Amino acid sequence: MKKLLEFKDVNFYYQTKKEEIHALSDLNFSVDELEFASIVGPSGCGKTTILSLIAGLLPVSSGSIILGGEKVGKENHQQIGYMFQRDHLFEWRTIWKNITLGIELKKQNNKEEKFELARELLKKYDLYGFQNRKPRELSGGMRQRVALIRTLVLNPMLLLLDEPFSALDFQTRISVCDDVFNIIKSEKKTAILVTHDISEAITMSDKLIILSSRPATVKHIEILNHNGETPLARREDQNFGALFDFVWKKLTNETEKT
Amino acid sequence: MKPKKLKLPKCAPFSKAHERYLRKLRNDKIFVLFFQILILVAVIGLWELLAQTKVIDPFFMSSPSRIFNMLSSLFASGTIWEHIGITLMETLLGFAISTIGGTLIAVILWWSEKLRRILEPYIIVLNSLPKIALGPIIILWVGSGMGAIIIMCTLICIVMTTITMLNAFVTCDNDKIQLMKSMKANKIQIFFKLILPNAMNEFISILKINVGLAWVGTIMGEYISSSAGLGYLIVYGSQIFRIDLVMASTVLLCLLAAIMYIIVSLIEKWHNR
Ligand SMILES: Nc1ncnc2c1ncn2[C@@H]1O[C@H](COP(=O)(O)OP(=O)(O)O)[C@@H](O)[C@H]1O
Ligand SMILES: [Mg+2]
Repeated sequence: MKKLLEFKDVNFYYQTKKEEIHALSDLNFSVDELEFASIVGPSGCGKTTILSLIAGLLPVSSGSIILGGEKVGKENHQQIGYMFQRDHLFEWRTIWKNITLGIELKKQNNKEEKFELARELLKKYDLYGFQNRKPRELSGGMRQRVALIRTLVLNPMLLLLDEPFSALDFQTRISVCDDVFNIIKSEKKTAILVTHDISEAITMSDKLIILSSRPATVKHIEILNHNGETPLARREDQNFGALFDFVWKKLTNETEKT
Repeated sequence: MKPKKLKLPKCAPFSKAHERYLRKLRNDKIFVLFFQILILVAVIGLWELLAQTKVIDPFFMSSPSRIFNMLSSLFASGTIWEHIGITLMETLLGFAISTIGGTLIAVILWWSEKLRRILEPYIIVLNSLPKIALGPIIILWVGSGMGAIIIMCTLICIVMTTITMLNAFVTCDNDKIQLMKSMKANKIQIFFKLILPNAMNEFISILKINVGLAWVGTIMGEYISSSAGLGYLIVYGSQIFRIDLVMASTVLLCLLAAIMYIIVSLIEKWHNR
């Protein structure tokens, strides 16, 4: 498999009035094309920071990030899809206007192509009848689906998911997990999921990156082989319990240290 | 492409409980309206009664019938239109200038964090200063009359507008801004597609506040210096002991302010539809 993303000895410091916060320390990992990678780590260890660096919203302090063969920097033309804990749909826009927000921002001429893609995605993921609705008329699960489609419309080379399910209730979360997973797989996207939910990470990903507490370093990388099962089915898998314990131990060691 | 209509399951026929609920809703509404009207009628009636029976002196306290007569003669002679027109014009201009100007200043301060920090203490001082204190200075500088009154009115509304809108701009959710940036939006796009529409609720509420404040500003201004307008009539009436004139002008002011408030409420309804 080809490497899509690579972190090489990445360090990152936040500068504040009181102190310099060392958030990431010599971080090394890579994500292959079409891989679904999860990053787990104690809260506050620097997971969100990693995503901001990939998206080019923050500059690395040292080291380098290679995305699609190019160094991530100020003038970054790689398209990235970003999903947050809350869906951040714009309440004043209809679903259609939310989904096509990214197209509106672009100055290109092949917009009709993109609109067509938006229409297709809406149809494919059962949201077509809702395109003229406002976000508040949709359920939490549907809203997250809209948020995902909003990023897919721009055909991003990489999706970044920052605890996108943590605001949903348990029932919804399980089914939205499944939805999002299936959409990402069928659209053939590479994705990085940040979460502190171990079972979510295990059931969704091909690669599990476990981080230490701040400053974050890679503690362990586990490659998972799921033979094409869906997240829901993976919860029933006989290895699930053992894996969960394994990750749990690695993480609690970390939390105890702080 | 025409969007498909969403199919909802047909509503079941309303239950008895639902019917009862609707009836209660309607009855409550009638109840509230009834007492609202009752209070108005009672106050006017009592006032008139007390004046007619000379329990209160109508010369000092006026009475509804005297106010009504004054209003009819004012409208019959037609001079009142000029006063209404002038006051309305001053208020609307002050309202428009301060709402638009205050929002524009807020945009500039949102754009430049440095400028925001530099000007912050001045804005705080301006906000806590009773603007009416500046009245004499304004009159000295621009002369008495409409110009001075519009400036008074603008001063009273604009600082609050700037503070409220700036606060609405800068408290926009950071993740939403990150989202826009990840879609490679520039600062202008972030403003027009996110910051501004996100602040619409605050804008509507500042409209409502300014409707009230603009009237305060205009009438204050007219009290200090004017030769026409409803505020002028009130001052003039009190100086020549024509309480009926004072009261009639006040009634007109109430009506005008209410109409303006209703218009803003309609804008709000339209925005929330
Ligand atoms: N803008 C910032 N300025 C200063 N410190 C920050 C900033 N953002 C995050 N941090 C600090 O950096 C660390 C990592 O933050 P973050 O990446 O958000 O953690 P996580 O997403 O894993 O919970 C935390 O200790 C946090 O307090
Ligand atoms: Mg985080």
